[in-house]
Amino acid sequence: MSKLEQAIITLQDMQSVRIEAGRTISPVCGLIVTVAYLVAMLSVSVDRVGILLWFAVYPILAAPWLGMSFTSVFIRSLYALPFIIFIGVFNPVFDTVPALMIGDVVVTRGWISFVSIILRGLMSVQAIIILICACGFEGVCRGMRTIGIPAFLVTQLLMVYRYMTVLLIELLNMKRARESRSYGNCRMTLKMWGQMTGQLFMRTVSRAERINRAMLARGFNGTMPLYTPHNPDRSVSDMIFTVVWIAAFAILRFTNISAIMGFNRLF
Amino acid sequence: MSDAMLSPVVAIAADVVAGALLVVAGSKLKNSTRENLVPLMGVTGAFIFAAQMVNFAIPGTGSSGHIVGGVLLAALLGPWAGFLTLASVLIIQCLIFADGGLMAIGCNVLNMGAMTALIAYPVIFKPLLKFDGVRRPSDLRIFVISIVACVVGLELGAVMVSLETLLSGVTAIPAGKFFVLMTSIHLAIGVVEGLATGAVIVFINRTRPALLSSGTHDEQHNSLKRPIIAFALAAVVVAGGLSFLASSDPDGLEWSIEKVTGSTDLPVNANALSEGSQAVQSATSIMPDYENSFSGIVGAVMVLILVWAVSSLLIKKRRT
Repeated sequence: MSKLEQAIITLQDMQSVRIEAGRTISPVCGLIVTVAYLVAMLSVSVDRVGILLWFAVYPILAAPWLGMSFTSVFIRSLYALPFIIFIGVFNPVFDTVPALMIGDVVVTRGWISFVSIILRGLMSVQAIIILICACGFEGVCRGMRTIGIPAFLVTQLLMVYRYMTVLLIELLNMKRARESRSYGNCRMTLKMWGQMTGQLFMRTVSRAERINRAMLARGFNGTMPLYTPHNPDRSVSDMIFTVVWIAAFAILRFTNISAIMGFNRLF
Repeated sequence: MSDAMLSPVVAIAADVVAGALLVVAGSKLKNSTRENLVPLMGVTGAFIFAAQMVNFAIPGTGSSGHIVGGVLLAALLGPWAGFLTLASVLIIQCLIFADGGLMAIGCNVLNMGAMTALIAYPVIFKPLLKFDGVRRPSDLRIFVISIVACVVGLELGAVMVSLETLLSGVTAIPAGKFFVLMTSIHLAIGVVEGLATGAVIVFINRTRPALLSSGTHDEQHNSLKRPIIAFALAAVVVAGGLSFLASSDPDGLEWSIEKVTGSTDLPVNANALSEGSQAVQSATSIMPDYENSFSGIVGAVMVLILVWAVSSLLIKKRRT
């Protein structure tokens, strides 16, 4: 499957995961909790794997609470793994200072920071997946607008998001047409790529002109209107969700849970 | 740039600077004379996203590449609109395709958006390549200038990545080696990006040159001097202000000191003032340094597996 088809499927999957999700949280609370989680988790030093690991509690508990399977969130986060490995793979090479012993095996600080980078990368990706699945992309944009992100940026994000699938499908049609004309020769030269992308851009401009006329006809004033569902019953549970998780992140960040629970004396 | 590579202080500082630049871009575009700019920017963002999905063969290497789009967007829409459009593409890539990270958005917007659309385009591309609708530049000229602009933009981005990584203190690669690695990789990427940008601009220049001239003329009266000065001042103020916030990670300077001396602490001559401040620091520190414990890690993993199993069982029960 090509990268293009994979992107279309991911966009469609995102919508279906959103529909399957049982509970929802208000986008503002979702954004606050996610940012608090990332700040707390990323502020843990790379050689403190024992503290960092406990931050996995958030995706493990929040995903099922919001009606998603943690396994599927974990599997989706693995897409980012090759890049994260590339980032950290040099650490064991350059940092060979011994850090701890496991039996007779000496583990260097480079290996510990490598594991730490992988954990940080995966957990931050999982937090974003949970946010988007729980609130939806339009919900996150609504939350951004509420917390004061300028309207022009939110409008731009919504416009790109709405037309992404349309243009991806248009490009897929162009790519398939070219492949069927080329009798199995799928290799695309730079010149060919330039012509195809230029053609796509010109189609994009004509589409933008049509959209502009349609938007003006419907009274567009430069800002995308956002539907805000009113549900007063949810505000208490949202507040509890936010407060509990922020308190949990503070505890995870500033205490050594492994030492408190006595795990340090296991071996 | 990924969240995994950044310390919160560096990430927040970059977010603030990138946010300030986006606000400047928004205010510049309010005065734009192009009537269909909002939908054009939206659909062009989707176009860049789509264009990134198709790779082209790189001659003589057996590998393939795709476009990033900073200089191309600036050439088509103007620098501020191009910057804003690329920023929106990066934010969507982070939120939907988990590419980059939420905290790293500011860094990515600065490294990929600001360096190409706000520096490489107005400093190199625009003065050297005039699309005035009267004389059409040759294909070779377009390719050469596109390559130079893209290489400069991406190299500046690579320098920024090196600085951000060094300040965050996450990687163990020595600063010099990391800098050489990043700039050499981005030199090759810049050439490929320049070829791709040139190929698209050559095609549009042959078929609908008016699209290029409208993009470059639109913002010609908007001087970049003031925003660049404001950007530099904001960077200095934010970096200075946030440096007072303590990070638990060793910073770049500490890291280099550690490489030389074997410790992040410099040997100092003890006096009453330093001893007093150290006593205050140890009394108020929330968590003093401690040794890595393998058994602590194993215990944490065991508990997490247990929590996962219990929560999975609970959710299954709730669904049935």
